[in-house]
Amino acid sequence: MEDKKEGSKANIVMVTDGASIPDPREWRLINAWSIALAGAVCALCMLCVLWPEPYLRILLYLPDGVLITFKITLLAICCAVPLGLITGLGRISRNRCINLLASTYVEVIRGIPLLVQIFYIYYALSRFVQVSGITSAVVAISFCYGAYMGEVFRAGISAINKGQTEAARSLGFNRYQTMRLVVLPQAMRTILPPVGNECIAMLKDTSLVSIMAVPDIMQRARSFVGTTYLYFETYTMVALLYLIITLLLSKAVSIMESRLNYYDAK
Amino acid sequence: MLRHCTLALLALAIMCAPVHATEKYIAAADCYWPPMELLDENKQPAGYSPDFLKALAKAVGIEIEVRNVAWDGIFGGVATGQYDIVSSSVTITEERKKQFDFTDPYYEVVQAVLLPAGQHISSLKDLKGKKVGGQIATTGIFVVRKAEVGAELKEYDDVGLAIEDLLKGRIDAVICDDPVALYYVNKKADTAGKLNISFKTQEKESYGFVVKKGRKDLIEKLNKGIKLLQESGEERRIAEKWLGQAN
Repeated sequence: MEDKKEGSKANIVMVTDGASIPDPREWRLINAWSIALAGAVCALCMLCVLWPEPYLRILLYLPDGVLITFKITLLAICCAVPLGLITGLGRISRNRCINLLASTYVEVIRGIPLLVQIFYIYYALSRFVQVSGITSAVVAISFCYGAYMGEVFRAGISAINKGQTEAARSLGFNRYQTMRLVVLPQAMRTILPPVGNECIAMLKDTSLVSIMAVPDIMQRARSFVGTTYLYFETYTMVALLYLIITLLLSKAVSIMESRLNYYDAK
Repeated sequence: MLRHCTLALLALAIMCAPVHATEKYIAAADCYWPPMELLDENKQPAGYSPDFLKALAKAVGIEIEVRNVAWDGIFGGVATGQYDIVSSSVTITEERKKQFDFTDPYYEVVQAVLLPAGQHISSLKDLKGKKVGGQIATTGIFVVRKAEVGAELKEYDDVGLAIEDLLKGRIDAVICDDPVALYYVNKKADTAGKLNISFKTQEKESYGFVVKKGRKDLIEKLNKGIKLLQESGEERRIAEKWLGQAN
């Protein structure tokens, strides 16, 4: 256990493509996150106060879309995280069959754009099963992000020092107990930021579901533009709205991360 | 030195010559609105409006190139000057007139409600509680929204996707311009016979070509062309070619 600090955290560099999670140890008041948030909130308020027509009208047109976006994101997170965990465990499994199955799933899904997956599940598979727009959105996004998260879980788990497993095994834990009680709790700390990242990326990608006539933020905006032809104004509001939501979420992930790292706080 | 200057001028003249020969305009059409606008086998815009524009260009001696542009955002492009004309079965409405200039009407339609074969309604009110699909930001959607009949509107990126969902049973009805509805009912192989037009609205809508506000010169040319085509009977020939069986 002597290499706890270096082994579990410091040696691992995780690279993901999601939003950047603010560093919980960042103490300065002015940083990229606060500038972005303050800027976005100020811009939103200013536009709405100075030009209530059309900006306030646009803002009041979007809330039901925000609800749908959140609903899809939450449902997809609930499905994608367990799916990712199972896939991650499958990827490090010594059982050849399970390993191959999980690896193939990851390879296939990662090679198909999310937009194509959504079209495929909604329009192509509807020949066999018919599901509503929201259900297919959740299924498509969960499957897609389950694969990405599987890789995150695999990386996080295999980054735990082998000594941990050996120690647990020599203390008489079986393999399941070792994974559940020793490896996973430690891995969680490294896994959480990239998983949080993926969840935020997921929220942004829900904007693709508007092609299935699901009335999310993006679809509401497009429908508004369709009647008013205010392209600049509407999409400015949509961009600010998405920005504020993702910034708040990334802060939430950052706070969770610092809570989990309570014991090795510096 | 003189030789260089002459050569440069000559080169300039040659390069500029084709530009001045005929005025060239670019028109945008959303080619998923058969038979008014569609893509032929060579992925080139075809249909009633592109043919109409080609004939019009010939009649007034200008050149018009039709490009396929997605409906969602097609008005943004004409406002920012990416193309000069929108020729995409755009109904002339008061809302649109505030933002853009329209030519004289060149075609008249009404809204048609498509239902699966065998089902019927007698007015828009019968759509209460039903899921009604249509292409995003088209007049069909506006008509249902304005009627406030309590239908749930589903706005698709193109009308074909809405028809696909109607056939699958995920929505109850589709509303679109009547030539398009007729095309899906009669002509398109995989939907013919599975749909029926159960209801048509009374109010006539007129298609017009859309240009950026203030482009009087272009409006004049297009209006002149529309008039010429209507007088010469060319319009009827094009209508027969694309809508003949439908009419």
